[in-house]
Amino acid sequence: MNLILLTIAIPLIAGFLIFILPKKFTNITKFLSTISILISFIINIILFINTEKIVNNYFMFDNLSKFILLFIGLFAVFVIIYSLKYIESVTENINMYFSYILFTVSASYGAALANNLILLSVFWGFLGFTLYMLINTNDNATAESSKAFIIIGATDSLMIIGIGILYYITSSLNISSINISLKQGPIFLPTIAFLTFVAAAFAKAGAMPFHTWIPDMSEKAPIPVTAFLPASLDKLLGIYLLARISISVFELNSSMTFILLLFGSITIIAAVFMALVQHDLRKLLSYHAISQVGYMVLGIGTGNPVGIAGGLFHMLNHSIYKSNLFLISGSVKYRTNTMNMDKLGGLAKYMPITFIGAVIASLSISGVPPFNGFVSKWMVYQGLIDMGKAGSKLWILWLVAAMFGSALTLASFMKVIYSVFLGRSEKKWSFGDVNWTMLLPIIFLSILCVGFGVFAFAVPLKLFIIPALGEIGLFGLWNSQMATLLMLVGIALGFLIYLIGNMKNVRESDIFIGGEEIPSNKRVTGTEFYDSIRDISILDKIYKMAEKKYFDLYEMLKKFTFAITNRLRLIHSGKLVAYILWIFFGMAVLFILLNIRG
Amino acid sequence: METLKSILYFIVFPGFLFTAIAGILVSWIDRKVTALVQWRVGPPFMQPLYDFVKLLGKETIIPRGSSKFTFLLSPVLSLTSITIVSTMLWHTFIMPSKGFVGDLIVIVYLLVMPSIAIILAGFSSANPLSSIGASREMKLLLSYELPFIISVLVAVINSGNEILMGNILMFQNNNGAIAGSLSGILAFVVAILCMQAKLALVPFDAPEAETEITGGPFIEYSGTPLAIFKLSRWMLLFVLPLFLVGVFWGGFRIEGIDLLWSVLKYVALLVVIILIKNTAPRFRIDQVLKLFWGPITFLAILAVILAYLGV
Repeated sequence: MNLILLTIAIPLIAGFLIFILPKKFTNITKFLSTISILISFIINIILFINTEKIVNNYFMFDNLSKFILLFIGLFAVFVIIYSLKYIESVTENINMYFSYILFTVSASYGAALANNLILLSVFWGFLGFTLYMLINTNDNATAESSKAFIIIGATDSLMIIGIGILYYITSSLNISSINISLKQGPIFLPTIAFLTFVAAAFAKAGAMPFHTWIPDMSEKAPIPVTAFLPASLDKLLGIYLLARISISVFELNSSMTFILLLFGSITIIAAVFMALVQHDLRKLLSYHAISQVGYMVLGIGTGNPVGIAGGLFHMLNHSIYKSNLFLISGSVKYRTNTMNMDKLGGLAKYMPITFIGAVIASLSISGVPPFNGFVSKWMVYQGLIDMGKAGSKLWILWLVAAMFGSALTLASFMKVIYSVFLGRSEKKWSFGDVNWTMLLPIIFLSILCVGFGVFAFAVPLKLFIIPALGEIGLFGLWNSQMATLLMLVGIALGFLIYLIGNMKNVRESDIFIGGEEIPSNKRVTGTEFYDSIRDISILDKIYKMAEKKYFDLYEMLKKFTFAITNRLRLIHSGKLVAYILWIFFGMAVLFILLNIRG
Repeated sequence: METLKSILYFIVFPGFLFTAIAGILVSWIDRKVTALVQWRVGPPFMQPLYDFVKLLGKETIIPRGSSKFTFLLSPVLSLTSITIVSTMLWHTFIMPSKGFVGDLIVIVYLLVMPSIAIILAGFSSANPLSSIGASREMKLLLSYELPFIISVLVAVINSGNEILMGNILMFQNNNGAIAGSLSGILAFVVAILCMQAKLALVPFDAPEAETEITGGPFIEYSGTPLAIFKLSRWMLLFVLPLFLVGVFWGGFRIEGIDLLWSVLKYVALLVVIILIKNTAPRFRIDQVLKLFWGPITFLAILAVILAYLGV
């Protein structure tokens, strides 16, 4: 118990110290944040290994929350190490940045461990605030950060209503002691409570329709913030909350499952289609951060053990490869100072390690075997097929959405690989790979991508997922270690053929385009690859509507609100007499009403 | 011991050596039938092997300014993934009750890898034409993948939600081939069209389109890497029809007279592929997209609905 408080307190205290430290002591700031985050990560490891289960009125430390805690710590370590060098190129308020990151870590620990619903909503609300401050690190992102804050804050207040309803029904505020079935009895109030929690989880994780803050903020916020919050931490927390409420707090009925599956599928397909046509690397990645949530929601929506395990595992895998991809985009920006894919190209030769990391992470997110993304997607698919065994008819719709979404993801990452790393650039670059503090997280995360894929059953599933959920009942077959071994043998065979072949006579030569010289500014940029998809008439209309933000709940509500307030504004004429008249009129109405009642 | 045995399967039979020899044979059939359609004599039996060996001996040219590692790795990647699929398929044909490496979903995913290899090859060549070809390959993949997934899932529905290849085969042994039902035959037709596109053969050869972008992703390849690519394409021509035979048409049996029947099934599919290839003009890539996402996906959905109705 003390260790739990300690791990929450250390980043908080370190954050305060850095907060009050004068600006110029940047080295102390960096040292303090690195040390505090390392200590809290080590405490998390000790907690993970030694502590079985603690449940009291305030905190709940069980197999699910302890692995979330472990990975929040891990990603925090990576992001802080990466930021040490990177952040200098972005902002001068280094101490503010680090202190808010540490506050975020502390609040996330709290949210993941909270057993008391009030405590949960306090931590949750505080996270919205730190997110706001982090997005606005450079003071140039007021609109974007307010958008994020309003979306998250609004769903947060919805959740507070949900907490109120839960208290009204069960007169308890402890997550561990609430268990409501939506299958029988009065379901109206519990359903509303469940939906408010779903809204909070969706907004945090970035599932549709509460996703719009992510692409907007990604353009302005420092990249490590994007890598830390929407890509990894918010996924961990949002999906954790969703899993918690759909596994232990509520027992879902078929219409609730249907809602989850529907939103999951729409999120996958719609977001990935948006990603296909982006020109800005960060925006593209952030649309994928939305699309991948769909798989997690689908997995949890299946309601069977294998699907839920797949959803949680996908959450973990996504946090790994997506934070990796964002950090890689950060390195690209650090070197080239642009995120426009029309201008990039040919970086593979200059940044080889970053390139390999990008390929691994891209193949992982596209679900190519044997990387980690494949295993979790494959488990989600089994969950969906299992629903069919249980008599559902619509499983095929969700499954096709998920599998086809995976092909679209591959397409959009092939575009990234081409237009950023291969292909030709507009100009000649002259730099090498980035600093080691920026490479280290990328290397580690890439190793995790491969390791969690190849040894999926031996390591992550066995250590993290199965203890949290119990037996998961896989019925498909995927022997990842054997498959990897065979692939390696195959690659060795291929190189054997190279040895047999005439590889002594290797010559470099200019490219061949019908024998013509080609000027270096004539090049194919990857960004136009999918224009022929865009030009399909139905899709064209949808894309145009999306660009006008018709699908953006926030913008639509904003328009609606302004339309109403513009009318109401007329009442505020500024004439005192009119105001007094209104006051008297109102009082008169009130008196009359009270008289009627009395 | 199991591991060593699996590696042996992978290298010799039914893996690399077997599939490579069969692929070379199949490519000869392809060329011979094509020649017959065009009223020519066609190449001698050993010609594909001669081609392969000759390419191995040729000089290898690597385009300047390309990513060498990716350039040389891509053909190997293609070869590897096809070999794994072939090993998995034959393993289930011979011993349906014993699983090997992965299930149906894994095979569908592994079958995407040859395309990824071609795309990476095109991208790493630093040639505008190969980039265009690779981007077309990607769009081609996107277009056929949707109906392909749906049609394969029809087999899953009809076999009672089985995703292990072995169980699908055993289901067909007991209840007749999937393609025996109306929904099954519809899905089978859709899958055949998707197979044509997966092989990037006419009318879906826009990625290579020799007369417009001179081979697309392969334009810069020569010598040994090209030999490996060619071999892997031949192997794919051998493996993909077998996959369809396994999923829809009762599988490939090797006992007694069944062997002849199985070979006939395979050759029938092969001849269909070759005939389509030799009698159709090329679609533009946007036409391919509209064709696959429109009518063909509609057919596939119809097959799903029929499958739910039990016909």
